[in-house]
Amino acid sequence: MSLRNNIPSNRLIPIFSVILGLGILAYALASFVTPAQAAPAILRQQEDGKPGNDFCLACHQEEGLDKTLGKESLPVTINPTQFKNSVHASEGLRCVDCHTDISDYPHPDVKVKNVRDFTLTFTETCKECHEEQYLKAHDSVHQKALDEGNKDAAVCMDCHNPHTQTRLTGQTSGELTPSARLHIPETCAQCHSVIYNSYKDSVHGNALTEEGNSDVPTCIDCHGVHNIQNPTTVTFRNSTPYLCAKCHTDSSIMDKYGISTNVLDSYVADFHGTTVKLFEEQFPDQPTNKPVCTDCHGVHNISKVDNPDTGIALRENLLVKCQRCHPDATANFPDAWMSHYTPSPQNFPIVYAVNLFYKFFIPAVLGGMIFYVLTDIYRRIINRIKGVKHS
Amino acid sequence: MSKQIAEKPILYERFPIWRRIEHIIMVLSFSTLGLTGLPQKFPTSDLAVTFVQSLGGIENLRAIHHTAAIIMMFGTAYHLIYMGYSVIVLRDKMSMLPTLQDARDGLQALLYNVGFAKEYPKMGRYTFEEKMEYWAFVWGAAVMGATGFMMWNPITATRFLPGEFVPAAKAAHGGEAVLAVLAIIIWHMYGVHIKRFNKAMFTGMQTEEEMRHEHPLELDEIRSGKVHHRPDPKTLRKRQMIYFPIAAVLTIAMLGGIYGFINTEETSLTTIEPLTESQIFVPQTPQP
Repeated sequence: MSLRNNIPSNRLIPIFSVILGLGILAYALASFVTPAQAAPAILRQQEDGKPGNDFCLACHQEEGLDKTLGKESLPVTINPTQFKNSVHASEGLRCVDCHTDISDYPHPDVKVKNVRDFTLTFTETCKECHEEQYLKAHDSVHQKALDEGNKDAAVCMDCHNPHTQTRLTGQTSGELTPSARLHIPETCAQCHSVIYNSYKDSVHGNALTEEGNSDVPTCIDCHGVHNIQNPTTVTFRNSTPYLCAKCHTDSSIMDKYGISTNVLDSYVADFHGTTVKLFEEQFPDQPTNKPVCTDCHGVHNISKVDNPDTGIALRENLLVKCQRCHPDATANFPDAWMSHYTPSPQNFPIVYAVNLFYKFFIPAVLGGMIFYVLTDIYRRIINRIKGVKHS
Repeated sequence: MSKQIAEKPILYERFPIWRRIEHIIMVLSFSTLGLTGLPQKFPTSDLAVTFVQSLGGIENLRAIHHTAAIIMMFGTAYHLIYMGYSVIVLRDKMSMLPTLQDARDGLQALLYNVGFAKEYPKMGRYTFEEKMEYWAFVWGAAVMGATGFMMWNPITATRFLPGEFVPAAKAAHGGEAVLAVLAIIIWHMYGVHIKRFNKAMFTGMQTEEEMRHEHPLELDEIRSGKVHHRPDPKTLRKRQMIYFPIAAVLTIAMLGGIYGFINTEETSLTTIEPLTESQIFVPQTPQP
């Protein structure tokens, strides 16, 4: 039973009247203290006649400030401390450098009727200073979705709040700072929360979020930044081994964790990897039914191989992966894949023995043959010199 | 002029047409298997990549490799049926079987070459070099067939064998391939193409001169009339009546074997559903 049903409708009228009256009063008070009167003239005018940041903040630091756009309201409060710490403010940018249509109060009318459309009117603004990133983003899957009419697709401001964005790269190095890396997945999580949750529990995400480990990949290490491509294409899948190999063949990262850097070579040496390598070089955009890294290890949810529930170093867990493509595979089948091991007396001793056998058998047989052939050539030459006919 | 015609060399049949066809089948299938197999063993080499691409890709290359393997299996079946006919019906001497004498001949040939024996050994229909090559081919075919089966049918193989046998089979298949190809290049090339271009496998014939050099004992046998003659028509007919049904059964069995080799299992699905994230765009709900 709702509250409204308990109140006779005629008693609602005075309540509304009071609310309406208070609203009008609040509006009148608010308009009374307009920045034009509150701010000294010196704040208003800069060299180019446009207002400085303090002028704008005089109003916009006020808590709970909203702008109504159609049926939605856009919070327009700017936290002055956060703004001062932002890379834009600390580089001396002014509000009006981006909000180019505003130079005074009252502000000009906003024509768009919802918050998202209002955000989208600013997409060209960032280009003024960040053309390289802007152009890259223009080739991204996000821009493509936007062009197709998906207004949810991320634009600059969705990842980089221009009012609070701090510096992400080192002043001199130009490289992403380790602390900036730590927060990348949170940025993507704003829209890709399910994927983020999967990543957060993975061996990579867990090390990043729990331990602050900056060796592990964040979203952008695999997907790129700004020019993010569609990761569900065949081309992306076919190139996966090289993507993973970027870190997994780098001993400066892997040695710390005792992880083999032989994973790409051992993959390419095996039937699946041989096929994918040769196939990918010729038909990068054609699908193949041979597995790439992610088919066995997972994508965002990659777990440690010795994880008792999901680790594929456990034969039962690996069998499940095998059966995705080999539905008839039985218990012995997973051992047909050497799990990135180089055969040794400990790991895959039969394969090791076969290789060892041929390592000696081939030179022994061929060496014997070559020796005999050489003696035969020698005898023929001698016989020819001596004038003896070879029998 | 007329003198030369009169001295036209006497020719001895060395390989009847059936054997020459068999040889051609093996030359074609072996070369194809080698050419399409080695790039798979050395996939990182540029040469392999170029070759694979020129054949229309790895899947095409494998299809050609498999086809050549099937042709070689047919060639092997043909050889076995032919051998059966030769041994059971014609009662030919089993001159390809290795004997202790072959070891002695090989040693003597080597000693002769290095100057420790006065004479080169006198050999019969098949020299130790030829027997060595034949039996090396038999060994190779057996290894390649068995290991090839395991790779072609890994699911069936691992029902009965440990999984590790599959990569072991691959290792053996590759090692044996390198051995076989290089052995052919060294031993066969030298023995029948470089030492002397021996056309007997294509013309079927050898001159008396060639026979005297390479197969003197066989020549002696032929000259002394000790040569093996074809059985008389009546005996031949009788033996054929016995052998043909056996051959028919063997043929069916071997063809069944080849069919099984090819069709034992559906190893993998041809199209795999790509891994997809169930939900891509799921905005975080604002914290209260």
